[in-house]
Amino acid sequence: MHCRAVYGEMIMRILEKFKKITHKEPGIRDFCIQTIRFRKLLENARGLLALLADGNEKVLGEYILDRHYVTSLIDSSVERLGMMIYDACVLVPEFGETLYTQYDRHKRRAGELISQNSPSATKDMEANTNISSDPEYRLLSDVLTWLNGEPSDPGSTVIDFMKQTFVRVLKHIDTGNNSTIELLLSNNVSKAPGSNMFLLDLWEDAVVPSVKPHSPYAINCIPLKLLLMDADGDNLSPLLDDKNKTATWVATASEYQLSLKILEPDCSFHLEATVSRHEPSDFIFIFADTTINTENILPQGFHTEITNYGQLAWKLDTASKDIEDSLISIGRNLSPKTV
Amino acid sequence: MEEQKLKIMVIDDENIVGKRLKPALEKTGDIVETFEEGEKALARFDKEPFDIVVTDIRMEKINGIEILERILAKSSRTKVIIITGYATVEVAREALSKGAFDFIAKPFKPDDLRAIIARASKELKS
Repeated sequence: MHCRAVYGEMIMRILEKFKKITHKEPGIRDFCIQTIRFRKLLENARGLLALLADGNEKVLGEYILDRHYVTSLIDSSVERLGMMIYDACVLVPEFGETLYTQYDRHKRRAGELISQNSPSATKDMEANTNISSDPEYRLLSDVLTWLNGEPSDPGSTVIDFMKQTFVRVLKHIDTGNNSTIELLLSNNVSKAPGSNMFLLDLWEDAVVPSVKPHSPYAINCIPLKLLLMDADGDNLSPLLDDKNKTATWVATASEYQLSLKILEPDCSFHLEATVSRHEPSDFIFIFADTTINTENILPQGFHTEITNYGQLAWKLDTASKDIEDSLISIGRNLSPKTV
Repeated sequence: MEEQKLKIMVIDDENIVGKRLKPALEKTGDIVETFEEGEKALARFDKEPFDIVVTDIRMEKINGIEILERILAKSSRTKVIIITGYATVEVAREALSKGAFDFIAKPFKPDDLRAIIARASKELKS
């Protein structure tokens, strides 16, 4: 009997704690979860790019491959794309129907390729004399056209669909910039003195947000430290036409990961970085809308893609040192002194 | 003194593998014969042994492990190299434990296979 009472009391205490957490700051947790999900989206997009790069390398004819390789490439691409679309729909559920309709179209195309109903094969082979005429290579060539050929209409290739999905998600996230500031303030998240950046500890603040502002050096975040290494007074530039206006930033940080975005209604800038000294994981991803001239921000070696909404840029599959140097350089380029 | 040519047998039920490997391996002056069926390859081996056998692991009638066992039963000096599109630790371990010289996973570059063949050739001569 006594035992049951103690056990009951213990359960109640846990529930109380849980209640406290869930009722206290649900918004900050949602914000952190959104950050994590966006990084999953990036990770899956990166997986798709890796599959495309592998196919591009193999199609040159230096490799001995069989049909199994090509069908695996198709299956893996469909799987990765599906994971990416799932992430996008978690971030913006109202896009679900549109995105899954397009995804189904890609799945059907993948099925056609596997069953060799591939009318474009001969045309592609004629266009590219570097590709072997073996059926496996012809199929691989068709797969690469499906992945990243010239899109006949928006989203008709996998990579174009991927870009479109990114833009849709980012656009949606950015419409909430004002409410993000309100959310941070209403949860007593404040900026460190002299800083124009709200700083959240991705894991700690998701559970119980800190009432005291974090200074950029209080959180052990390697990419943030690199970014601010050469910046002026730990501040980043407004990135706005009106240089006198102080912009607000929010950084969500953990030891190896940084998600940084500008919180302004008419400006969109996102930076995602992982710096862990484990080369396959390290990367920098940047999105900047059309109001921002990235030429002044990006160091050399970034892959860039232009969309109607802005520019996507990324650097990956390079030495960790290169990623680290690039972050320092971006920080310097974003420094008010430089701008 | 002229170096002795190696006799290499390639077995893979995917036509493209033999078709592409034959000219690539013949570049070094070795003699290469390709087969899409394991039984035909084994019958050929009965008539004349080969120094090196390169075989796919998954084929419809006879799989690569069986070919490995039957080749080594006929000629223990022959070096058998397994090629596979399904590279797993288990497959590699099984092939090596049954006497395979080495294995290589598809897709691969002919140069990578040539490097294994060069090692096998060195062992054959020692």
